[in-house]
Amino acid sequence: MKVPISWLREFVDFDDSAERLAERLTMSGTEVEGIEKVGCSCTGVVVGEVLSVAKHPRADKLSICRVGAGDREYRVVCGASNFKAGDRAAFAPAGAVLAGGLLIKETSIRGEFSEGMLCAEDELGISDDHSGIMILPAAAAPGSALQDIVGEPETVLNIEVTWNRPDCLSIIGIAREVAALCGGRLKMPELHAGLGPRKIREFANVEVADSAGCPRYTACALEGVVVGPSPDWMQRRLHLCGMRPINSVVDITNYVLLETGHPLHAFDRDLLRGDRIVVRRAVAGEEIRTLDGETRKLHTGVLVIADGEGPVALAGIMGGEGSEIRDATTRVVLESACFDPGLIHSASADLGVASESSRRFERGVDVTAVGWAGRLAAGLMVEHASASASPGSTDVWPVKPQPRRIRCRYGRGRDLLGMRISDGEMADIFVRLGMNVDEKDAGGCTVTAPAFRPDIEVEADLFEEVARVHGLGEVASAPPRSALVPESDDVEERAVAECRKTVMALGFSEIVNYSFVSAALLDLFGKGNAGGRLVLPNPVSSDYAVMRDSLVPQMVETMGRNAAHQVPDVLFFEMGRVFGVSDGASIEEGRLCMGLSGKAGRVEGSIRTPATAEEVFLRIKGAAEALGAALKTGRFSFRSEDREWTEPGWCVMVELAGAPVGVIGLVKSALRREWRFAEPVGICEMSIAPLIANCFSSPVLSDIPAYPSISRDVAMIVDDSVTHEQVVSAIRAAGPPELTEVLLFDTFRSESMGPGKRSLAYTLEYRSGVRTLTDEEANAFHDKVKEALRSGLKAEIRES
Amino acid sequence: MDENKIESLKQEALAAAAAASNADELEQVRIRYLGRNGVLPAMMKGLKDAPPEARAGLGRAANDFKVSVQAAVEDRKSGLTSARQAGPAFDLSLPGRWRGVGSMHPISKVIEDATRIFGRIGFTVAEGPDIETAYRNFEALNTPAHHPSLDPGDTFWLEDGMLLRTQTSPVQIRVMERRKPPVRVITPGRCYRRDTTDATHSANFHQIEGLYVDAAVSLGDLKGTLEYFIREMMGAGVRIRFRPHFFPFTEPSVECDFSCHVCAGNGCRVCKNSGWIEIAGAGMVDPRVFRKVGYDPEAVTGFAFGMGVERIAMVKYGIQDIRMLYANDLRFLEQFR
Ligand SMILES: [Zn+2]
Repeated sequence: MKVPISWLREFVDFDDSAERLAERLTMSGTEVEGIEKVGCSCTGVVVGEVLSVAKHPRADKLSICRVGAGDREYRVVCGASNFKAGDRAAFAPAGAVLAGGLLIKETSIRGEFSEGMLCAEDELGISDDHSGIMILPAAAAPGSALQDIVGEPETVLNIEVTWNRPDCLSIIGIAREVAALCGGRLKMPELHAGLGPRKIREFANVEVADSAGCPRYTACALEGVVVGPSPDWMQRRLHLCGMRPINSVVDITNYVLLETGHPLHAFDRDLLRGDRIVVRRAVAGEEIRTLDGETRKLHTGVLVIADGEGPVALAGIMGGEGSEIRDATTRVVLESACFDPGLIHSASADLGVASESSRRFERGVDVTAVGWAGRLAAGLMVEHASASASPGSTDVWPVKPQPRRIRCRYGRGRDLLGMRISDGEMADIFVRLGMNVDEKDAGGCTVTAPAFRPDIEVEADLFEEVARVHGLGEVASAPPRSALVPESDDVEERAVAECRKTVMALGFSEIVNYSFVSAALLDLFGKGNAGGRLVLPNPVSSDYAVMRDSLVPQMVETMGRNAAHQVPDVLFFEMGRVFGVSDGASIEEGRLCMGLSGKAGRVEGSIRTPATAEEVFLRIKGAAEALGAALKTGRFSFRSEDREWTEPGWCVMVELAGAPVGVIGLVKSALRREWRFAEPVGICEMSIAPLIANCFSSPVLSDIPAYPSISRDVAMIVDDSVTHEQVVSAIRAAGPPELTEVLLFDTFRSESMGPGKRSLAYTLEYRSGVRTLTDEEANAFHDKVKEALRSGLKAEIRES
Repeated sequence: MDENKIESLKQEALAAAAAASNADELEQVRIRYLGRNGVLPAMMKGLKDAPPEARAGLGRAANDFKVSVQAAVEDRKSGLTSARQAGPAFDLSLPGRWRGVGSMHPISKVIEDATRIFGRIGFTVAEGPDIETAYRNFEALNTPAHHPSLDPGDTFWLEDGMLLRTQTSPVQIRVMERRKPPVRVITPGRCYRRDTTDATHSANFHQIEGLYVDAAVSLGDLKGTLEYFIREMMGAGVRIRFRPHFFPFTEPSVECDFSCHVCAGNGCRVCKNSGWIEIAGAGMVDPRVFRKVGYDPEAVTGFAFGMGVERIAMVKYGIQDIRMLYANDLRFLEQFR
């Protein structure tokens, strides 16, 4: 909302500078975002009369003009083309200074001498218009100062009005705030003398078919109207507030809208068919061509103003071309009404059209002042558009609102606000804000919320008024009080934090990606689950169209982007949610994803030796196992199973107690090529819930071993089809309760073993909890294990 | 054989080891006392023939002999080696071997810091789902039915009528639905708004909200709490101020600024020359919100506040563009160790 200070002063007196006033308004909740100096802030610019226009001999787009300015003529090279000989224009002769501080000098442009410059509005600081030079009224006297025509520069406050304060979308509304803050008295505009309350003649036939959608409709009939330009001062104010002047009738409706906050609409009565007005819902499929030139198809959720044949306006949003005010208009129907905010909002959103009117109606206008605003505009039309006939008016207002009376308890207000303020000061604030206060007693007062303040509904709303007008600086800051709130339902949040710290301790750096991704990225990693994806109906773009169903694609993409920045070896992790649709319902789950590329995490060996698939797989798997150990998940088991995004044969499902909790795999080579990874990329993705389930469990302690252990090694040659897991299982199955540890210490292949075979070597530890084992006992245990390996896994035991 | 004999053999062996002047001599000493046919095996053999009541003491003495003599031989060996072969010392300046340390994302770091700071004044953490009901995200928070924030242009609505939460306030509703006052929680989490991404906006962002409900909580308590938090987060010297604002959820509503930590309030690029930096939206919980969750607004009052995590990170660490936080460039991230 733009508020010219001079307009504001019409309704309230104040001594503050614009800067001080802006500060006061901002600190009371009416945020002034900027203070603009608008208008001609140049010196030496005068009215010039273009005497002749000739082509520049060497430049197509330039012309050479003779310009008369009072006592002498100037020769001027000009680049604009929006003028002709005989026009008056803003002219800056050599020596003038433009808005940006540019000093005009005599110069030569493409070889032609120029003694000044014809100026566009932006160069003069009047607007940001640079479409052509500024053409002045024909009556302007050549040589006179430009300021005489456009006025002195004006200070305009640019105010951000919060959604709950529709009353502040008007000059008078802001003036009321200023009066309350600065102690001035609000002066309301006076109605035109010729427009008394007398009712002259019912206008036509107004029927409100949807009184919920239109609680009040008033219309004035004006005759003998002469449509022409509106007065300069009015045009100037419209300009200052960011509106374009159109003609006297339309300008007056806009002027009153800005001044009072009440949107109005003027129809050409001779273009209304059937001499009647109906406020109703649109019939499905009905069409209207609105003032912006668009033809709009309507549905029954749209409220329209119709004449005897069809819609002539989108109620509260925009008029139709069919009944637009023309130069030839002589009879005007002036509508001032109140429409349901929700209806205007949804229609405006559905039709994709918004206006200064709809922006006010959807927040709510003062229904009690609708008639007054109409009469104010009618008076201006009598004064400035020659509306000679007495206006008739009609007012359809079946249900008048009950005033809201709200009790304000002073003590409770002080307690809630933590402010020291007297009863009298509180009551005074309400009065200054234009509210009626009665039933005053020792405990409080009763405030009648004014109709222009729809936001004042309950006592807390009154306290807010006290707080913002008295000043939030007066709130005494109280040190944090600590009445303890015994709660323990934040275990999960603490466990997640613990998990994050653990992964970091393993060397991984945290990344954070968006929850939405492109379908194309997910497709790269597999389309198998495409039907279970949660697709956004209204995404910001196709890059962010689908909620991620896995953290893996963005993890790989992130590693790829880092590789492209010459950071190929990374350890990354992300903790975030993944989404999907199950049985038609949206679902989500917390996941952890770890990514490891190339040599990252390698401790021994050269940093130049390329990473092998084996080592990358074992490192990412090792990280997962270490995490499991740290979070006390219990032992993971692993089951080979390829995913769409993994290299065949390089993926395992991670399971806990038989239930799948995650996946560990190497990214398949087709995807590695996509991001030009030179070396293997390992990924582990797990559900967070099972990972952290035991995180804070207390350990169940067992005694430290009291008796020595005996170690025995076993080395064997087995078939490639025999896995380490199988060997360990076989050893544990055959071993006695005294078998406490099975550790793999060597694996190798050699030609002598033949193809398809490898050697695995383990060290086993035997220990009794009740006595010292003898060598003989250990040997007997070990022989049994060896035998089981021979018979169960066809292992060839290598005796040393 | 008795323990004294073993002790004297030990002294003899130790002296011999110490007297060895080269590796050969030392090896001879080792063989004589510890070798296969040396003193030690004979001693062990003798152990078997000793009377049972003496075995334990003799065993301990024999073991002491073995350990002491072995140590003496080793000590002398290293003494001879270093004395004789004074080759180059190990280069202790070589880089150590350990995988790197990880870093925490600045978004997590801000949440962690805030959790710790608020934890010290009794706030616990509560979380809720990203996918929320319209009721908890808007209606229960007293948002008018045609408030612009409900528009499909602002909020991500899903096919099933749910939505991606636009704030973490619905978590406050969840907490109040399941607990009786007093309540004191912060609710960090991810939120979504249909903003076009630029240097300061991101459609996917994070918030920390807070809620304190108890008997006689005042705007002054809110001020004190935010003052404490912001000083802990941004530096002890900063001041805060409240400006009135509008949020459907609170009444009165305020915006909270703190005096710029870079220029101490004198005006600089970070605070756009105003001396103040906007940090939080806050206010006293609207009684209509309390009624929705079954609290008696006459019996309790409360305050709520909300802050953008990315914004705090940007202000605190001097990050110019919010997109840096989602670019996940290791060269940026590893600075947050
Ligand atoms: Zn600053």
